[in-house]
Amino acid sequence: MTALHELALRVDEAARNATAIPQITDELPNLGIDDAYAIQALSIRRRLERGERRIGVKMGLTSRAKMIQVGVDEVIWGRLTDAMLLEEGASLSRARYVHPRAEPEVVYRMGRRLAGKVTALEAMAAVEGVAPAMEIIDSRYQAFRFALPDVIADNSSSSGLVIGSFVKPSFDLSNLGVVLSVDGMPRQIGSTAAILGNPVRSLVAAARMVAQWGESLEPGDIVMAGGITAAHALSIGEYVQTDIEGLGRVAITVGD
Amino acid sequence: MTEALINVEQAAALLRDAVATGTPIAPLRDRVENPDAATAYAIQEANTRHWIGEGRRLVGRKIGATSKAVQNLLGLDQPDYGMLFADMAFGDGETIPVARVSQPKVEGEIAFYLRDDLDGDALTLADVMHAIEYAVAAIEIVGSRIADWNIKIVDTVADNASSGLYVLGSQPRPLTAFDPVLCGMVMSCRGEPISTGAGIACLGNPLVATLWLAKKMVEVGRPLKKGDTILSGALGPLAPVKGGDVVELRISGLGAVRCRFEEEA
Repeated sequence: MTALHELALRVDEAARNATAIPQITDELPNLGIDDAYAIQALSIRRRLERGERRIGVKMGLTSRAKMIQVGVDEVIWGRLTDAMLLEEGASLSRARYVHPRAEPEVVYRMGRRLAGKVTALEAMAAVEGVAPAMEIIDSRYQAFRFALPDVIADNSSSSGLVIGSFVKPSFDLSNLGVVLSVDGMPRQIGSTAAILGNPVRSLVAAARMVAQWGESLEPGDIVMAGGITAAHALSIGEYVQTDIEGLGRVAITVGD
Repeated sequence: MTEALINVEQAAALLRDAVATGTPIAPLRDRVENPDAATAYAIQEANTRHWIGEGRRLVGRKIGATSKAVQNLLGLDQPDYGMLFADMAFGDGETIPVARVSQPKVEGEIAFYLRDDLDGDALTLADVMHAIEYAVAAIEIVGSRIADWNIKIVDTVADNASSGLYVLGSQPRPLTAFDPVLCGMVMSCRGEPISTGAGIACLGNPLVATLWLAKKMVEVGRPLKKGDTILSGALGPLAPVKGGDVVELRISGLGAVRCRFEEEA
């Protein structure tokens, strides 16, 4: 148990100080998935003790390509806090990250509580709004190299969020065109269909997975549904923007 | 010892043999005289004339190499084009005789159907938009008569821009019904996305790609005609297919199109 606390301290400090650490699985090759989620929960508890507020969850490994790349057949999740929120249209401080990358995403905002085994119908009925978003992912591991338990322990690489305006999810979200542009030029192109074939499946998985840890999605919580394209590595001076068909736009500038 | 280089007619004949026998040939770029784009289009044109002479009906064009990634791969700084014949066209839901295509792969595209000729000097995007009667989702089944898809610009252009067959959707939509730039694209097989993308992946805008084609066709003396079908270019990566696969393409605002690939005997 103490060992898990020590590991939680290690990933928390790495995130807080923007320093890269060696993979935990180098030292503990038998680290299991449950222990990895326990480390994540403990490291998030440290953040909450510092005064951060939990605002929702993020889903990861939501594309078949990424699952194959990591060698798993299940999505992963992480917890989001208010300290991760970046102001839309503002400047991100490159120095606060180890090797930040931006991924276009769709984000749900819950209107009602959702937890456990739910249908897609129940999941969407609990959604109040949907918005375009970018997640700033930043592995605390050297060279962005990690095994599955490492990434889970490291809060699924989550570190920053930029969220656009919410709209009512009154239309089909399963195949919306997505473009991440840098300084106006398209760099990553995809469709929301890349998220498990339909992003609502990610929301269903989120409800099921948080419940396994005795948690739930509460009204006002956000759920980042998962990456849609390859991530773009951020460089100082870039203006990075994501457009999603029918949802609008979200943008950020990369500062020092 | 160096082998003698072949000319345009000889190269065109090699490609026709490859179609007839179903056996891919070695790349042409190392063995044809003056291996450049002009030669490659001359080879393509020789076969176009041959096929029209054989009675095949020319029904449109395809635009290829519409992404930077593919252009870099082929050594191009612009798209390329190939000819569409009536016997290459299939309808939504049909079974595709996949054996007709050498080394088949699929891509998801927007097809445009023209209600007007696109001829004359200095065409603009407005002319293109006006000339388009409707758009439909289309699965293009590309193929290569060059062994192992070992292609550069000369090989693919000579080989009719690696064209094969195509499947048109059955829900024609006017341009006002969808967003050609931000429309989402997903192609799936057994419910699994095998290619995802959006309209912008096609040269930034499938209509701009079509304008490029229209101007090029005027330049080479085969202007686009009323009634032509244009396959405007891939909206996402190519995906391999095999006999038995059922592929469905969905483009946001344009509905779906699907086809089944016949089991190989």
